[in-house]
Amino acid sequence: MKFITIDKKDWAKGIEKSRETYRLFGPVKEKNGFLIKSLDNDMLPDMEYHDSVLSAKSVLFPQSEKMMTTSLDESRDGHHIMNRADADYSPRAVIGLRPFDAKAIQLVKLNFDTKEYRDPYWCDAYEATTFVGLGINKPGFYDFSTSAGSGPFNEEGLDVLLADMDDTYLAKVLTDKGQAYMDACGFKTQADAKESQALIDVLKKEAQKNIVSRIHTDKLKEKTTLELHEAPFWDDIAFSCINCGTCTYVCPTCWCFDIQDETKQKTTSRFKNWDTCMSPLFTLHTTGHNPRDTKTQRVRQRFMHKLKYFVDKYDQGTMCVGCGRCVKSCPVNIDIREVCNLMNAYEKQE
Amino acid sequence: MMGNLLEHMGIEKDRVHFSWISSAEATKFVDVVKEISDKVRAIGPNTKFVKDYI
Amino acid sequence: MNTCINKIREIASKLLENGEVEKVIGFANGTIPMATSPVVINSKQDVDKLVFNSTCGLNLANYVRNQKGKVAVIAKGCDSRNIVTHIVENQVKRDQIHIIGVPCTGMINKKKIEALFGDDIIEFTEDGDTLNVKSSTREETLNKKEYLRDNCTLCMHRNPVVYDDLAGDLVQEQTLENPYPDVDRIEAMDADAKWQHFQELTQNCIRCYACRNACPLCYCPTCFVDESGPQWVGKGQNKTDVDTFHFLRAFHCAGRCTDCGACVEACPMDINVRDFTRKLNKDSFEMFGWEAGLDITKRPPLDVYSPGDPNAFIK
Repeated sequence: MKFITIDKKDWAKGIEKSRETYRLFGPVKEKNGFLIKSLDNDMLPDMEYHDSVLSAKSVLFPQSEKMMTTSLDESRDGHHIMNRADADYSPRAVIGLRPFDAKAIQLVKLNFDTKEYRDPYWCDAYEATTFVGLGINKPGFYDFSTSAGSGPFNEEGLDVLLADMDDTYLAKVLTDKGQAYMDACGFKTQADAKESQALIDVLKKEAQKNIVSRIHTDKLKEKTTLELHEAPFWDDIAFSCINCGTCTYVCPTCWCFDIQDETKQKTTSRFKNWDTCMSPLFTLHTTGHNPRDTKTQRVRQRFMHKLKYFVDKYDQGTMCVGCGRCVKSCPVNIDIREVCNLMNAYEKQE
Repeated sequence: MMGNLLEHMGIEKDRVHFSWISSAEATKFVDVVKEISDKVRAIGPNTKFVKDYI
Repeated sequence: MNTCINKIREIASKLLENGEVEKVIGFANGTIPMATSPVVINSKQDVDKLVFNSTCGLNLANYVRNQKGKVAVIAKGCDSRNIVTHIVENQVKRDQIHIIGVPCTGMINKKKIEALFGDDIIEFTEDGDTLNVKSSTREETLNKKEYLRDNCTLCMHRNPVVYDDLAGDLVQEQTLENPYPDVDRIEAMDADAKWQHFQELTQNCIRCYACRNACPLCYCPTCFVDESGPQWVGKGQNKTDVDTFHFLRAFHCAGRCTDCGACVEACPMDINVRDFTRKLNKDSFEMFGWEAGLDITKRPPLDVYSPGDPNAFIK
């Protein structure tokens, strides 16, 4: 494995240089907190950032994305035939990605990139993207990633892992994509692999120690779906829920979307918009029947999907990476950690 | 109150008009429409609250 | 406010024991600092779960609809006004609800406190007007009065307007020379500056609809943005669609909003959506001498015709 030392004095220059070949995304401080955004013009990623309110999933899966478009003007060739909309799939890089967000993208990939179906919009964006993660030296209070299959220095899904060493960044180059990005920045000063790994291990150990909050997931797989589904606690969990979409929109692994056609004059376009299982509209049939008509059913669905159906279907752990965003943002403080532990410990009373 | 809220959001006051015209009041209708179009023309095309792309 | 919790528990316990109500709706402690969560208490044994403090910023009137049997609810000044609105609008019957009134000294502005620290807050306690806030790196003692939510600093109805039991002594109401300074600031701008202000305000809106769902006024079976046959508003992130939602959501609250602040409290993106509703509140007051939820016998001004209604706007 190759390691590169980057002097922080050279950081900005290198990032600027990479702009010649990459479109950049990264954390930006806004009035409402940190967001992962496209870094236009001379904006630099804010590497001192705190956890962002929204995850990085929007880099590959924007909240609204134009998929196809066509003309309704019958005098034109190809009218009424939907064609894929123009989009920019030139190389892009996300800088300062949280390791749990990178892991989350790998989980989302299980859905968008399968043997049978391949979502071209997501996959093309994925292939165009280089993921430059930043290890979290001081994990936040809400972080429970270590018990959710990730961690502050987790390398899964990353092309480069940066470790903040005060005056320098130590970059662990994990893939060829990562190497190409380092080259584009002009970062070349190679560091001793063994020594560097040891330095990262120290930070990692220290960071992991700071994560005190955890979930228990070991028994989820052996539970019977129906028993969990009929467990008595769902009404209590759902009572306070106001059925907004906050938890699903801040979640790095929530991948559901809705498809909408919009027409203006002679142009019509098909959009893919984030959707949320918290909304009654999510499951409303054209007949007017709604199989998930009550709040409790919807709340249960969200947790069952993340912590049971996903676990059973993919055998890759839970569909939660422990970022803690939903815990922090939920207006009524419904806490996935509590729900998860409740589900994990549930035994049906005879 | 709706007109006030629109104005509060930055839609120019003269763009939104409310009137009650009976079907028997043809001249009033003409006068009101004239007044509205003059006023709206004076402010120019509206760019706010317009869905500009598809 | 700290002492009233004993009284709340005592009342709740008595009501449940005597079978006067089937359940009590209140707040319970959250799992994270500065958070409380609405909770329903069904039995006397559980009343100790109830808490009441300066973090109970949501509006419990939102939880009393469609309940079976009689329920008791803990109500601050604003909650009680929304209960009145519910009764006037036939969402709940007066005799189906037992109001445990709590005189309120304001709720804290969590985002403002968070902004003081660079890192996450790990502990929060309060004692009267003193707030003790601890992050992983430092600790601060704050004066609650300086960290109230904007709507609480402008509140003139801290005491419940209607109640069956009172869980504390009534507090002195604030008198404000100008109750709408925030609206005045926007009114002073020219049209383009106003537009710019609202464009920036809703710029990061993710349309999670937390503002709508936390609002006790928003009880339509199907909201206009969720209509699908036909669809009324685009569902994507087009700014015009986002603004259409905000504008119409606010207008549906005209003459009904009590400025309880639940919308802002719930917003994950920290958008002060009250900038929309406050203008309507000011207009209601100036045009109709109306403040919502004060009188159980009167319908909101846009619900009724009165010969004295202002009509200068119509040609």
